[in-house]
Amino acid sequence: MRSLLILPLAMSISAAQAVEWNGRVDLDARVFPAAASGTIESTQGMNVTLEGFQDLGDHRAVVELVGRYDRRDSGRRSLEARQAYLRFLVGEGDVFIGHRQTFWGTAESANPVDLINQSDGAAQDGKEAKLGAPSVSYEQDLDVGLLQLWYMPHFRERTFNDADAHPSAGLPMAAAQFDRDRGANADDVAARLSTYAGDWDLAFSAFHGTARDPILVVAGGSVTPTYPRLKSLGLEAQYTGDASLWKFEVLSGEQSGDDVLAAVGGVEYTLYGLAGRVWDLGLIAEVSRDDRPQATADQMNTLGGRLTLNDTQDTSVLVLASRDADNEQSFYSVEATRRITKTSSLSLEGRWYDADRPTLPLGVLADDDELRMRFSVFF
Amino acid sequence: MKSWLSVLVFSASAALASPERGLEIAVEADARDQGFGDSTSTMSMVLRDSAGNTNERAIRNRTLEGADEGDKSLVIFDSPGDVRGTAFLSHTKKAGSDDQWLYLPALKRVKRIASSNKAGPFMGSEFAYEDIASQEVEKYSYNYLRDETLNGMDSFVVERFPVDKKSGYSKQIVWMDKAEYRAHQVEYYDRKGSLLKTLVASGWEQFEGQYWRPSLMDMTNHQTGKGTQLLYSDWVFNNGMDEKDFTKTALKRLR
Repeated sequence: MRSLLILPLAMSISAAQAVEWNGRVDLDARVFPAAASGTIESTQGMNVTLEGFQDLGDHRAVVELVGRYDRRDSGRRSLEARQAYLRFLVGEGDVFIGHRQTFWGTAESANPVDLINQSDGAAQDGKEAKLGAPSVSYEQDLDVGLLQLWYMPHFRERTFNDADAHPSAGLPMAAAQFDRDRGANADDVAARLSTYAGDWDLAFSAFHGTARDPILVVAGGSVTPTYPRLKSLGLEAQYTGDASLWKFEVLSGEQSGDDVLAAVGGVEYTLYGLAGRVWDLGLIAEVSRDDRPQATADQMNTLGGRLTLNDTQDTSVLVLASRDADNEQSFYSVEATRRITKTSSLSLEGRWYDADRPTLPLGVLADDDELRMRFSVFF
Repeated sequence: MKSWLSVLVFSASAALASPERGLEIAVEADARDQGFGDSTSTMSMVLRDSAGNTNERAIRNRTLEGADEGDKSLVIFDSPGDVRGTAFLSHTKKAGSDDQWLYLPALKRVKRIASSNKAGPFMGSEFAYEDIASQEVEKYSYNYLRDETLNGMDSFVVERFPVDKKSGYSKQIVWMDKAEYRAHQVEYYDRKGSLLKTLVASGWEQFEGQYWRPSLMDMTNHQTGKGTQLLYSDWVFNNGMDEKDFTKTALKRLR
């Protein structure tokens, strides 16, 4: 597997004269107002992202390297090749070799069909934080849509924050367990066809391999991430109406012998020109059903709003509130971002967890409420 | 004799003030721009507020001429840094709403976006989405008003009314020179009928011996005092692009 990573890196370094580089540095300060005793109450971190690409005739080399350091949380320290691949033009399609990142899905609150990349959970950076998938993949634009075929020979484990960091279960993580005999060396295959017709965007996918979401088994004073086998089919659909986007995605299949179903559906409706200004307010309502043992709850209902001021600083605020159907646990988040200069921006974020009982999935996170300020510089 | 002449001129121009004549002019302007195949250009977008502070964005444009349907276009942002790599794909429709997608590079995600936001500001500028979209003939109904001399050029003055009810305008008035059918000035009237914005296009250059493009489009919002300049450069025509360069797949792979 190492050669898959080094090959594109070596090629882009040898062509360093002409490689186009750019990147960003994020500095963040986080405080945890509900921190339990013995856990960290605040920390600071730095994230450096470096992106480069080089066209080599019809082929292309792409790298996206992320280096992250956190003063208190060793789980949040890493060097990751989020992307490092070569793309070869082969006949009517493209072959990609190396670490690659892609996104499958259409919903906002959860994306059960997004199965290619493992989440870089410890980064605490939302959907953007993914681990590169070591892979050989093929893409071709057919008359019926875009076909993707994936072969992933090596499984990437989810990353976790330290036991005394946030969010965490407050217990050390034990070595991962796998339902598949070859563990992290068992290979995965996946395929997807995405297309659109008129106001509909559709995608169909299939996956056979190791589930990305681990089941967290608490025993003997530690947490063991256990990764089941997964054979599944996925469907994504979006209908684009006048001011409303109707979104639906479903994952259906068999997980280590059990039938599983995870589905998200909802609508995003935008009010344009709010309050006689050029402000837009997008209202989000989604329902997520998930009968997998990894799920936070059988049903989560999410309401949210995205306010976009459409000013020269691109100021925006996103508010989300999720609650399970039994009204036992909730999650709230706020994120406000604003450009400061041509090369910098500032964001303020808050997350709150609430649960009736400490044994509920979000109850485990009761001391993990967080306020964060992040300053980003782009170069 | 003199009075007879003015009566004659008056009735002649009154006879010419017509929807038919307005449509003829729009069709002729469209015909003169046909056959460009594709084009690329770079654009600097300078936003200015009412106090005169300015704020700049660097953008690349790619356009594919449509045959039966409208044009397809790609807009790629190079700066400011926080939106670098963000790209906007639009498939213009002659009738109905355009199809639009946005590529978010941090998420590697292509998002279909609602196109009813046509009256909304494009990237915080004084240009609405519908102002920067391909100006297909079918998107308006027309009325020729009069001839007028603008900046020394003999010009047609035509008013046009958006067909789409979601347009932010009740009407637009266009000054187009008679020699080359270039739109030098456009006045935009809001839904209440008040003058909202004026666009002035200048620095015209001719490419491939046929296609005229302005090097500066200056939009002033009379109601807010804000403005936006679009400074175009590096126009290249007939790059050999085709439909495959304007798909969701192409959007993900842009550089």
